[in-house]
Amino acid sequence: MKLKKFMILLFVLAFAFSACVPEPVEEEQTEEVEETEAVEEEEVAETEETGADDESLPQACLDDEFGCAVVPQGETIKIGMGAPLLGDYSMFGIDISQGVSLALQMDDGFEGWSYELVAEDTGGTPEAGAAVANKLVTDPTVVAIAGHIFSGSTEAAMPIYEKAGLPMMSPSATEPSLTQRGSTVFNRLAFTDADQGRFAANLLFNDLGFTSIAVMHDGGTYGQGLADVVQAEFEALGGEVVAYEAVTPGEADYVAPLSAVASAGPEAVYFGGYAAEAIVMMNQWSQAGLDGVLFFGCDGTYGVEFTEKTGANGEGAIAVSLVPPDSAEKTAFDEQYAEQFGVEAGELSAFSWSAYDTGGVLIAAIEKVAFVEGDTLYVPRGALVEAVRNSDYVGLTGLVKCDEVGECNASGPTFYQVVDGVWVPLD
Amino acid sequence: MLNKLKNLKITWGSALRYIVGSIVIIYLVVRVLQTAFRDGTYGPDTWLRFLIAGLVIGGIYALIAIGYTLVYGILFMINFAHGEVMMLGAFAGYFVLEAFGSISMPGSSDPNLSLLNAQPVLALVITFLVGAGVSALVGYFLEKIAYRPLRGAPRLIPLISAIGASIFLQNAAQLLFGPQRRQYTNPDLLWRGTGWLIPVGEETVMLTYTGAFSFILSILLMIGLLILVKRTKLGKSMRAVAESKQAAALMGIDVDSVISKTFVISGILAGAAGVMWGIHNGLFNHYVGFLPGIKAFTAAVLGGVGNIPGAMLGGMLLGLLESLGPAILGIDFQLKDVIAFTILILVLIFRPSGLLGEALKEEKV
Repeated sequence: MKLKKFMILLFVLAFAFSACVPEPVEEEQTEEVEETEAVEEEEVAETEETGADDESLPQACLDDEFGCAVVPQGETIKIGMGAPLLGDYSMFGIDISQGVSLALQMDDGFEGWSYELVAEDTGGTPEAGAAVANKLVTDPTVVAIAGHIFSGSTEAAMPIYEKAGLPMMSPSATEPSLTQRGSTVFNRLAFTDADQGRFAANLLFNDLGFTSIAVMHDGGTYGQGLADVVQAEFEALGGEVVAYEAVTPGEADYVAPLSAVASAGPEAVYFGGYAAEAIVMMNQWSQAGLDGVLFFGCDGTYGVEFTEKTGANGEGAIAVSLVPPDSAEKTAFDEQYAEQFGVEAGELSAFSWSAYDTGGVLIAAIEKVAFVEGDTLYVPRGALVEAVRNSDYVGLTGLVKCDEVGECNASGPTFYQVVDGVWVPLD
Repeated sequence: MLNKLKNLKITWGSALRYIVGSIVIIYLVVRVLQTAFRDGTYGPDTWLRFLIAGLVIGGIYALIAIGYTLVYGILFMINFAHGEVMMLGAFAGYFVLEAFGSISMPGSSDPNLSLLNAQPVLALVITFLVGAGVSALVGYFLEKIAYRPLRGAPRLIPLISAIGASIFLQNAAQLLFGPQRRQYTNPDLLWRGTGWLIPVGEETVMLTYTGAFSFILSILLMIGLLILVKRTKLGKSMRAVAESKQAAALMGIDVDSVISKTFVISGILAGAAGVMWGIHNGLFNHYVGFLPGIKAFTAAVLGGVGNIPGAMLGGMLLGLLESLGPAILGIDFQLKDVIAFTILILVLIFRPSGLLGEALKEEKV
């Protein structure tokens, strides 16, 4: 503790002195500046070369639409990220950047080149998202983008990466329309609410064999959106939605709406909304005459709070989570994560595992197209964009295989059921 | 005859109000008839469930509404921090129950048997006493700090002070106890979700122990309050102060002390309501007083603010309207507040002083 304070003091003093006594070192400093300028000029020259027809570049780079990322020996292959690392939403950015960087660290590297994550703070805003994108595209060693995090920031960054030919893979941007804009570079591991609703309806009808369900929601954009998708999909599959009811969020007594639902005699109740309301509903389940009726929630209702506060009443409830089912790889990742960052995976946000897979997918794609000539590594950018879109990768969260618009979560969300008071993955 | 009509003084504004009110009433009646003649969407068991839910929540609303009405009757101000008084009572009760749950029964061979389950009646009595006591204290100091210095000020000023106190108490509770939701741990005797099963046709309807307990306790508290107001000396002086502060002071009544005691009584009722809320509904946080506070205020206005039986009637009616209203009208349950407030507006159009309220004197309005 004392040492830390002393070091801080030392730093402050060092800064103060460097500001106070500039005279004798002035010459040296200017020389340094000149030197760095020279280096920069060289670099600029190099980047210009990548686009121009030059004999020093391999043929594959000349043929590529966007040219090549050029990584000289000693440099790292960089993966960029725009994420909220400071401010209100920093837990998401910090968690996801940690997950991705762990994937990059745990990889052996490619022919002697190792991977590095360049995470820049966006605060989750669109403006900063565009600024970060503009910064990252100027670095010739940045080959791909893990992100962005947050849909607004992603939306602003997409056209910039599109021009530069940098493939994106977002673990968390769920806004449905992002993949509907004809972007060739944007892909995501995150499943959209529409996906979740579709998978839920399918599970209810096909796997659990229900033919009549009730649909409830909390009237919010998220909850009602999900409920509407489930209703439409379930009816499209041939099932019947016997009741559709909304509750007012934030209340502590839902016996009346639940009784109304119960009188329609559903086999299961789908609920789109958050844990607060789901807990109240679960605790009033039998009062409302819903004994034996399955509760089916969404990723908003998943969490320890639900099992803690519903106790025996919550037994058998189903919900959705980004947390992948247990596997040897997941345990290894969890341990590594906890050891390196001092927090459990999933504690800051639920995206730790998706972030890890994002890193894995990008590495797999890079290794498919990168090649070494002389002592320089080349990554043809256009080929990499295609390689990411054609990913076929099995990660912690399941199969990652992109469709033609860049929705890559092929295995869908993981469903969980409460068994003996804990969430257990549903088979 | 003609003179009488002239004296009625119907202005355009009031005529418009009456016309709109009548149209709404006609619409509501049509919806009710439609539902009545539709082949029963809900069976008798469902109606019974609605009724039980409405009565339980109505009892809690009534207890809080009495607090509004008592204070209004005496000071002619709306104590907007009253919901927060209830919230602090809920917290106090929670901590008492937690304490009982964490102590194991002395002298018992079973280490898992806590004092809470060994002595559930004692635990509940102490919980209610502490909950009501804390709320009474909060009410007492609230009046001393936030309202008494403003006694002579224009009426808008204590109102603003009340809103400020409400925000202050909410945030203080958040800082002290944290923003997370907490859940009451009831004794096994009163476990939430257990109750008597009433057979209705082929179905059974559950009357929960907590619901029955809350309802009966709220009725007992209301009877106690009525006796206090009608039969005791304190009640007499409260009524006298409500009638006229100056005259009461001239008769030798200590007005300040009566006002303090009024706040203490309304605090006791709010604290009991807070503990009941926790025991019946379980989940709560620092924000729990806000919504019931607003609802209870509505109930007080519905029944006639300043009138104690009116507040009871208003609370019960509001609870029943919320649970039965959407079913009777055959509309979405999310709109239950719309129904409740529509009824409130209708009552205010046709009976501006509330259901049981008398026309107020100029001074009180």
